[in-house]
Amino acid sequence: MQHVEISTTRANPLVDPVLQVWGWEIPVYLFLGGLVAGLLALSGFYLLRSRTASERGAWPQAPMLGVVLLTLGMGALFLDLDHPWYVWRVYLTFEPASPMSWGSWILILVYPALFAAALLHPPERVPFGAGLLAVIRRGSEWMWARPRLVQAIALSNLVGGIALGLYTGILLGTMVARPLWNSAILGPLFLFSGLSSAAALMHVLTLVRTHGLVDSTYADLLLHGLFQLLKPPGRDPSTAGEAMVRADAAFLSVEGALIALFVIGLAASTEVQQQALQLLLTGAYAPVFWCLILGTGILVPLVLQSLELAGRIRHTVVPALLVIAGAFLLRWVLVQAGQVSSWT
Amino acid sequence: MQGSPRPYANPYLAGFGLGLVLLAAFVLMGRGLGASAAFSALAAVIVEWISPGHAAANPFFSRYLGPGGGLEEWLVWEVAGVFVGGLVSGLLGNRVRPAVERGPRVGVPVRLVLAFLGGLFMGVGAKIAGGCTSGQALTGGALLNVGSWVTMICIFGGAYALAWLLRKEWT
Amino acid sequence: MNAPFYKFDVFGDTAALGVAFAIGLGMGWFLERAGFGSATKLAKQFYFRDLAVLKVMFTAIVTAMVGLFLAAQLGWVDLSLMYLQPTVLWANVVGGLLLGVGFIIGGLCPGTSVVSVATGRIDAFLFVMGVLASQFLVGEAWPLFAGISEAGEMGQITLPGLLGVPYGLVVLAVVLMAAGAFVAAEWAEVRFGGVDRAAQPLLGAGWRARNAPRVLLASLAGLALLGMAGGDPYRGPRVVIDERELALLIQKEADHVTVDDLATWIVEGRMEVRLIDLRHPAAYAAGTIPGAENVPLADLPAAEIEPGERVVLFSQGQTHAAQAWMLLRARGMRNTYSLLGGMDEWNDRILFPELPAEPPPDQAAEVERRRALALRFGGSPRVEAAAGAPVAVPLPAAMSPPAGVAPPAAPIPTAAPVKKKKKREGC
Repeated sequence: MQHVEISTTRANPLVDPVLQVWGWEIPVYLFLGGLVAGLLALSGFYLLRSRTASERGAWPQAPMLGVVLLTLGMGALFLDLDHPWYVWRVYLTFEPASPMSWGSWILILVYPALFAAALLHPPERVPFGAGLLAVIRRGSEWMWARPRLVQAIALSNLVGGIALGLYTGILLGTMVARPLWNSAILGPLFLFSGLSSAAALMHVLTLVRTHGLVDSTYADLLLHGLFQLLKPPGRDPSTAGEAMVRADAAFLSVEGALIALFVIGLAASTEVQQQALQLLLTGAYAPVFWCLILGTGILVPLVLQSLELAGRIRHTVVPALLVIAGAFLLRWVLVQAGQVSSWT
Repeated sequence: MQGSPRPYANPYLAGFGLGLVLLAAFVLMGRGLGASAAFSALAAVIVEWISPGHAAANPFFSRYLGPGGGLEEWLVWEVAGVFVGGLVSGLLGNRVRPAVERGPRVGVPVRLVLAFLGGLFMGVGAKIAGGCTSGQALTGGALLNVGSWVTMICIFGGAYALAWLLRKEWT
Repeated sequence: MNAPFYKFDVFGDTAALGVAFAIGLGMGWFLERAGFGSATKLAKQFYFRDLAVLKVMFTAIVTAMVGLFLAAQLGWVDLSLMYLQPTVLWANVVGGLLLGVGFIIGGLCPGTSVVSVATGRIDAFLFVMGVLASQFLVGEAWPLFAGISEAGEMGQITLPGLLGVPYGLVVLAVVLMAAGAFVAAEWAEVRFGGVDRAAQPLLGAGWRARNAPRVLLASLAGLALLGMAGGDPYRGPRVVIDERELALLIQKEADHVTVDDLATWIVEGRMEVRLIDLRHPAAYAAGTIPGAENVPLADLPAAEIEPGERVVLFSQGQTHAAQAWMLLRARGMRNTYSLLGGMDEWNDRILFPELPAEPPPDQAAEVERRRALALRFGGSPRVEAAAGAPVAVPLPAAMSPPAGVAPPAAPIPTAAPVKKKKKREGC
């Protein structure tokens, strides 16, 4: 039997000088993972904070959508594996020191949390007939009758989302051989990027669902709770849409600050990290980084959103779509540039 | 005021602004604006994606590939900027709305077919003339390029010559 | 100031893409502001109801043309470095007519269709798909189009060159022609488009009234007149140099390379520079550094050196190379270096180095390397006796140091100078 051993640390012909083994699959997986993490965290938070039935029912599709997107992301990861049919072996063991093992287990734990949250919001129709719907309804009512259980589900969603979001960044950070990824900021950066793209996705879907481009007709209450917590008492955002946009803007600002920290961190590190950073700042990936990630991915949406909030222009899906595109490109560039960067 | 589109800018002032952008391109890059070659590069990238060998063997597509070509083509980035610039300007003017622009006497399907057809003609024309309205007429016009002035006159000549036949589409 | 900056290597290819994006932002912004995201507005041009296309386009042309003319007159921009799409008469005619047909059928052009798609127009999306489809068509049937796209080639010529009149005169004529066209356009809009005559800035207001378009046109015409006083806008032999910049470069020793570096580059096949021998052709023929080309100092101003090209200049000693360096820098060539010590230093250090006969062990490797280097370039090391006095090794006359060195028998691998990749600059 022939063994192929790949060292992820360094000094391996498959690692140095250039290891371009990750194509489109890993960025897609990281993007969808971050998006689902954002959806989880936001819906979990909302569930914890919600008081009334109308608030609870405001955005029922989020968990179900999360299930679909996470499955797509796992599919992309699956395609990337050399031995996809041995995936089950990962689950025979738990290695506390291995981020891969952590990640696999986080993913496994996230699914039940998502399903439980989805069950709390039973759909109007199901594809397999009325009998199934009745069962789902009964399960949902049973759960709502137990506030402790609902709280536990909400908490598991919140915690699972944050863990998943951090993990997508930490996964890259553990590859010591790639100086561009040697940063502790990647975890929080990917988490906040996931949160902002999740907020943006919900924004798009509510706009599409309500067919309304007038601000008061689209109502996304998922973040209502968050802003009831953050805002000074007595001042209610005039519409739910505003709360939505505010949340996205807040997440985007944090994301921008984290990118700045990431850049500063690498620039203050050793020469190898500085060289790796140059790939983003002045090298081959600079146009995408400056124009499409910082420019149209963060800065332009922030300006547009603040103008929307100020009532100067209409609410549209455009800032949200730009945020989502920017979030994907962030992963894509970091994965590609990271693989080009090396210690030699 | 929210909701209603704001009026367009004074054409002389918009033209002055566009002229300054063109001047900036001259001073920074030594070249002008353009658009159609971005489509050529995009088409070449798509062909290469489907069949790399075919793209490399084709004298037209292979010109737009390789280092500094494909998605690294200067005009691809310029056109990406045009898209974002137009989008932001449209959003700030409340002029972004999904619509089919057509004259009062023409239906949506006919207009869409004609738009596609117009694109076909323009794409072929631009490749023969060596540029479109931006690359030839605007840029070459400012550089006093002989071929660009010929192209510009022919663009307006061709359009005015057919305008009467197509009056039902627009008026 | 030496512009266009990109051609003088102030920034590289990657930054150029960012510049492209920024310029595109401006272009998209102003096209959208002008209303060019709307096919119906554009098409009104051809029914004389709304001539915004003519006004915007010609204002832009006139602005950029006068601006570029003045910048060239002030010596800021090298006009000859502007990319001129070659004139191909019949291709321009046929292509232009097809573009016109496409314009009236589709109501958009490639640039404006992008803006129109960005602002949500579905017809523009179909138009863009049409342009894209046409590229597949053109690509697959290229032999069909290659013929017509080359019919009537006239090279890169400008209107002033064709007509044999001063550049400034054509600039002024275009400004005046544009002003006339604007007045006619406003008259047509009043006549056919139902526009209120009083609202037309050029036509409507009283003869003496001032408004922005009038001031703009008058200033452009005035600036064109002013520029005409400067004569030919193309760069002559006179240049302006930045004393402080050059003095600083020289003090930082950023103006030269050493013979050791040069020899290493040649041996390792990393000659990514153009090596220019400034001496007389006779001296060059007698022996030079491998890979060098001969451009005698007096011919340097006429030499075809691209701005941004990496050039190393050398002469017999140091002086001429340093002076030539100054000349090229003054023309804006940023990547120019002189060879420190010139041919004399090359002979002393590379071809005929003085090496100890019995080097101390810690220097043995270095001495061996220098010896191999000398032999490689066809020279021979001079061996220093243990006592210290150099012992001259008998040499053939042709190879004695002052006369230069005949080209070595064995070809030395040198990579061809890497030229900056030529970019397509057309539309």
